[in-house]
Amino acid sequence: MATVLETPTGTTPTVTPARQGFWRNLWRVLRRKPTRLAGSLIVALFVAMGVIGPFLYPANLPIDAGNAYAGPSGSHLLGTDFQGTDVLALLVTGSRYVLVAAVIAAACTVVVGTGIGLYAGYRRGGPDSVLMRITDFIITIPGLPLLLVLSTLWKYSNPLTMGLVLGVTGWGSVARAVRSQTLSLRERGFIEAARGLGLSTAHVVRKELLPNVAPYVAMNLLISVTVYIYLEVGLFFLGVLPFNENNWGVMINQAVQNGVTQTGQGLSYLLSPLVAILLLTLGIVLLVDAMDEVFNPRLRED
Amino acid sequence: MVAATQATANAAATAPPAVAVRDLTIVYKTPAGELPAVSNVDLYLPAGTITGLVGESGSGKSTLALALLNAVQKPGRIATGSIDVEGLGNLVELPAKRLQEARGGEIGYVFQAAQNSLNPLKTVGKQLLDLGRSHGVKDRAGLVRSARQLLARMGMDAARVLDSYQHELSGGMRQRVGIMFALVLNAHVLVLDEPTTALDMISQANVLSIVRAVHAERGLTTLVVTHDIGVVAEVAEHIAVMYGGVLVEQGPTEDVLRAPKHPYTRALINAIPRVSGDPSVARPLPGRPPTLETIPKRGCVFRERCAVYAERNLPECVTEQPPMLPVADGPGRLVACHAVGTKESVR
Amino acid sequence: MRKLPLRLAGHLVRALVMIWVVATFTFFLIRQMPGDPVAAQYEQLVQQGMSPDGARNATQLTYGFMPTGSTWSQYTHYLWRLLHFDLGRSTQTLGVSASSEVLTGAKWTIGLVLAGILLSFAIGAVLGVIAATRRSSGTGDALTITGSLFHAIPQFVMALVLITVFTVIWPVFPTDGNVDILVDPGFNGPYIASLVSHATLPALAYALSMFGSYLLTMKSSVISVLGDDFVLAAELRGLTRGIRFRYIARNALLPLFTIFALTIGFMFGGAVFIEKAFNYPGMGVTLVNSIGHRDYSTMNATFLLITAAVIVANILADLLYTAIDPRVRRGGTAGA
Repeated sequence: MATVLETPTGTTPTVTPARQGFWRNLWRVLRRKPTRLAGSLIVALFVAMGVIGPFLYPANLPIDAGNAYAGPSGSHLLGTDFQGTDVLALLVTGSRYVLVAAVIAAACTVVVGTGIGLYAGYRRGGPDSVLMRITDFIITIPGLPLLLVLSTLWKYSNPLTMGLVLGVTGWGSVARAVRSQTLSLRERGFIEAARGLGLSTAHVVRKELLPNVAPYVAMNLLISVTVYIYLEVGLFFLGVLPFNENNWGVMINQAVQNGVTQTGQGLSYLLSPLVAILLLTLGIVLLVDAMDEVFNPRLRED
Repeated sequence: MVAATQATANAAATAPPAVAVRDLTIVYKTPAGELPAVSNVDLYLPAGTITGLVGESGSGKSTLALALLNAVQKPGRIATGSIDVEGLGNLVELPAKRLQEARGGEIGYVFQAAQNSLNPLKTVGKQLLDLGRSHGVKDRAGLVRSARQLLARMGMDAARVLDSYQHELSGGMRQRVGIMFALVLNAHVLVLDEPTTALDMISQANVLSIVRAVHAERGLTTLVVTHDIGVVAEVAEHIAVMYGGVLVEQGPTEDVLRAPKHPYTRALINAIPRVSGDPSVARPLPGRPPTLETIPKRGCVFRERCAVYAERNLPECVTEQPPMLPVADGPGRLVACHAVGTKESVR
Repeated sequence: MRKLPLRLAGHLVRALVMIWVVATFTFFLIRQMPGDPVAAQYEQLVQQGMSPDGARNATQLTYGFMPTGSTWSQYTHYLWRLLHFDLGRSTQTLGVSASSEVLTGAKWTIGLVLAGILLSFAIGAVLGVIAATRRSSGTGDALTITGSLFHAIPQFVMALVLITVFTVIWPVFPTDGNVDILVDPGFNGPYIASLVSHATLPALAYALSMFGSYLLTMKSSVISVLGDDFVLAAELRGLTRGIRFRYIARNALLPLFTIFALTIGFMFGGAVFIEKAFNYPGMGVTLVNSIGHRDYSTMNATFLLITAAVIVANILADLLYTAIDPRVRRGGTAGA
């Protein structure tokens, strides 16, 4: 049996095939299950809401005092709040803070967690033990109570501050996971081989380690966004933080404070932010499912 | 020597067999329909004998072994045929309760050394008591005593083993514990699935000598399922060769190995390298054993790899599965081959 | 069994270190507050005419340690008082020490969290078995998806939804509090009934938010165990169905205990939400209220106790697992 070697003709493409392949893969995977497409649409919708939404409304939303606690109707798609402000408007304007803080927190977590995890896994020995003790500590401390205690110190009016504080408290599990990934890569000889070739640490980290932990980190980034949204909305819901502008957590807090749960009036005011959170979570989960398949292709089940 | 084997063979041939498998067909459900893993097998295990069932992986021998306890796992099932065990009747028709008692109580099964056949969360001793309880054993002390005797007989520290968990025992120890479980309730039929696989040479020799010893001491009827002809040569009086779900040759071990009649058996033996002499004399059998899906539905299952068919091209080989027929060479010798009996096969 | 005391000792050491770190953290945190409250109270009392000694004592009463002197001496004094469980007094509820303030709430929180964990464990385990045995049918899939879905819902959302459904739309359960104050406390029927009815929704909120992990873990565990060799071996040795079922069950349940520890931390963290939503007087509410009222000694005490509770629960979970799994208890192979 003769084998034929094909010589490449033409010029190599300027875009690296890997990068091109990723997006194409993603698109293919998204198309395969319609739910995933729905998921990415939902996420895109919320992103749009966060970015352009507040520009669509005036700085001070109109109050319609006579129409408080109204249910969904033609003029107010999601009803009104205790002051008569349109709930949909509140939802849209309140989304920016929530989303920005969550994204910053997730980014912070990922950067710190990955850095620590990589370093600990790479160095091992003394620094590793110390870092892992610290990580264990961070993981064990109950996050929410800690955030509450910290809230006495810092006011989270700025989404940046909120994001940073959240991120600093939550990097524990990412660090652990990245560290174990690094350790297993080490087992597989990548690192030793690269060092044997005389490649610098920076190169090893950038070219060998990062690409291998990147998929996990990317998916974790998205999931963390959902977790952080809960946390911040929850914090506002508890009413421990002073607020000067509206956001979803504030909406829930106000709804409960104004007795929605007691009387049942203005239900849509309470439920809208809740449903928004759930929807966004659903979208992200579906998107992560798609990414999971791109990075870990499984055999088709049919 | 020849006279002695002749005599025992005669005696064995006239007494009713301890296990009689008749026309057994076991099928597996696949996306392509129900395919046979074992086809029309007739196998007789005379009382008090050790029979070795030889075949490559995928030949159906393990499925056949499980069938002897009527324990073929889904998606397989026994389609036709009967399995008569002395004292029990047809296993296929036994009511569930009687079957449960028979398993362990009258027929014992020993797993491979590599498999974890014990509950990892309980000590051996506790599992022994569970066994006793399941079989309605009233004399628990007596049961433990028998177990201790068996374990000691096999060269183990009985007290320590009974107090151990599975992960604290080595592969060889686990296998011997498995043998103990199979025999402690005084079963009279013993089935061993690949008893020497995954063991080092010394442990292999140990296990085989244990099998021979307990078989003789207790007058068991034993079936050893293996892919290793050497094991059969060492320990079994009878040999049955299986290929593609079909029994192709049976008979007294020495006779069959010395003068194999079926082309497959011959090829198996030719493939064994000799310890002395020219190693290139050993010739592997070309091709691959069939899988469930590739077993030919018509004609002889061995046809495609058969040297005799390649040479003589008998039309029957294509159209019908050769029946298992006795050959004149000696009592108890059966071969399923169209080429045998029509003309003396060329060596 | 030799390893057990060693493990325990290791845990205790780590636990003590952690508590010490947390205590130190909160100590310095309070000092960092805008307008150092400790110094502030001291100053204020002195201004109001109290003698410096008197002011010092009064402040010490409030915070549990000496408000003057070098930071180091204050710190060591603080730790000393901590060992005596003296964390000062509550500034919102006068005359009550911070520690007792926290402890009154603690038993409610722990009770509720315990009920929630047990419920979610039980629900998750049972549904997990069903999901595993019916995995090729619609039921199995539906259960799996339901589990994942509920798991993704944040706890306060769950709590609020439950409140909305079961107290507003369909008033079946009481809306808040832990017990009807009109009923006499004690071991009598109406009191216990009232306790249970008030605890049902909150416990359910915990359970529904956590059962997903147990369900998914149990499902994969059962599927894996069913394929294990010893299951077939048990059948071939003629073991009865009852005994075989127990073999499978105990092996399948094992992985659930490993996630036990994870869920505990989660639960205690979420206690804040659920107690606030249901107005249940536990540690969570105490914490939130103390922050709102700037009652730092109580806040300190509560935070410490919550952390301690999580640590203790983790230790117990680990010991429990060690006791259950002989492979961890007695590792290694004996000689051939």
